[in-house]
Amino acid sequence: MTATPLNRTYAHTSDLAAGGPAPPEVHIRPVRHRISVGDVTANLGLIRVLVARDLKVKYKQSVLGPIWLLFQPFALLVAFVIGFHSVANVDTGGVSYALFALTGLSMWSYFSSASAAGALSLLGNTNLVRFTSCPRLVLTLANLLASLPSLLVPAVAAVVVALVDGYGSANLILAPLAAMWLVLLTAAFTAITASAAVKWHDIPAALPFLLQVGVFLAPIAYPAENLSGVTRVLLTLNPLTGVIEAWRWCVLAVTPDGLALAASLTLTALLVVGAWLVFGRLEVTMADDI
Amino acid sequence: MTSDSAPRQVAVRASGLGKTYVLGERLRLGGAFTSRLRGRPVHNTTIEALDDVTFDILQGESLGIVGVNGSGKSTFLQILSRTVVPTHGSLTVRGRVLPMLSIGAGFHVELTGRENVVLQGAILGVPRRIVLARMNEIMEFAELERHADTPLKRYSVGMQSRLSFAIGMRFPADIYIFDEVLAVIDGAFRDRCLAEIEHMAGSGPTILFVSHDLEQVARLCERTLWLEHGRLRALGQTAELLDRYRVRPDARRTQDDGST
Repeated sequence: MTATPLNRTYAHTSDLAAGGPAPPEVHIRPVRHRISVGDVTANLGLIRVLVARDLKVKYKQSVLGPIWLLFQPFALLVAFVIGFHSVANVDTGGVSYALFALTGLSMWSYFSSASAAGALSLLGNTNLVRFTSCPRLVLTLANLLASLPSLLVPAVAAVVVALVDGYGSANLILAPLAAMWLVLLTAAFTAITASAAVKWHDIPAALPFLLQVGVFLAPIAYPAENLSGVTRVLLTLNPLTGVIEAWRWCVLAVTPDGLALAASLTLTALLVVGAWLVFGRLEVTMADDI
Repeated sequence: MTSDSAPRQVAVRASGLGKTYVLGERLRLGGAFTSRLRGRPVHNTTIEALDDVTFDILQGESLGIVGVNGSGKSTFLQILSRTVVPTHGSLTVRGRVLPMLSIGAGFHVELTGRENVVLQGAILGVPRRIVLARMNEIMEFAELERHADTPLKRYSVGMQSRLSFAIGMRFPADIYIFDEVLAVIDGAFRDRCLAEIEHMAGSGPTILFVSHDLEQVARLCERTLWLEHGRLRALGQTAELLDRYRVRPDARRTQDDGST
């Protein structure tokens, strides 16, 4: 083995040395908050590569691959039909129970799988957080995008079944908007859990339990109007309630609960602002804490 | 080596740079958090990992950084690589930084060698066009041409570190950082890497080189920075500085300091 280096110059390596335009000076100073819109806009290429990585890894060495995307909501659907329809005979206001539950589950499927995976989006990339300067928000966003199949597949299934059952309406045009609302809400929630999980490992420990219970605390298996009093108020305070109401309005053309919509929109906005502040604050010491 | 008559530009300027770590600040029930709720003072131990250091690194120079473990070498390089945020002072950086703080940071075992190069390029912010243009060169340097499309989990540790080095030296940057990474590779490949860094050092980019192996520092670096307890002990010509460093009072105790 010869120890002769290749005879080449570091031509684009150094704009400074090549007499080209001097790269801008960067000033590194103490900050209390480290997050910016530029973290995302300047790193679209990185997001794309990370999403491709996550998708590739998710379905490698898996026999059923993407079929698992349908399995989880379908298993819950069967359980709900037995528990809420056959046993409890829940009134769904004229809509067939299976279709009613499927629309709710198609939203829940994304929220639960994206937030479960997303909470570990930073802890699972310890090396990147500790040894590289790639903006940490990018890691969490890429993870959320890589979970999008678990929104698309069940959502399309729900729409197809609704159309076959004759529920098609002009409302359907706004369905992508409801789906985007869901993604935004999930992103805000996940930005908080993922950044806090770096400091407090209790969060990923508590989350599976929370998600297990959460499916019963949103109007997924039953309509919100079946509840009254305190339980109705609590349900209204769940930001997912409004998203599911909006989605059902789009797909099934059922009248949504206006109060729940307004409450959920407000809560989503608050959560987005909160997530920005929390993530930016925790990002400062993330490499130290992880 | 470069010995221009014109004064060289500053690539990195540290002024009053410091990093204080607070120990025991973790939120724990029954601990600091509840004391704070009751209005009691919380006593935290602090550590000055880097304490008020001021110096300039010149453009195009190769600078060695020496000091025992815990002297602040890595903290400084982490701040320069923008992974860690300083608590005092400032650091001005001109040019693109390519940090090698760890072998294979960010590699994914399920992806192939080639896919990992693309991933690393994206993480380091190297334009995709340049990543693809340098792909063959990287695989050649790492001696992995035949394994470019093999998943990394089939690579040996040696193959992974060769790939990591090839990436660290074949991607364009103005400031290259090598933090103790040569310690983990051995044999002929280490000699090639040293020769390559030596070649780079004379051809434009600024090199920051951390090693416990003082022979390597002497071979590669014009000037050397000596950190001690987070403070700047000395900065000067390598030969002269290493003479002083070798006879420091605690030299005997920390002779076999090679760990981490």
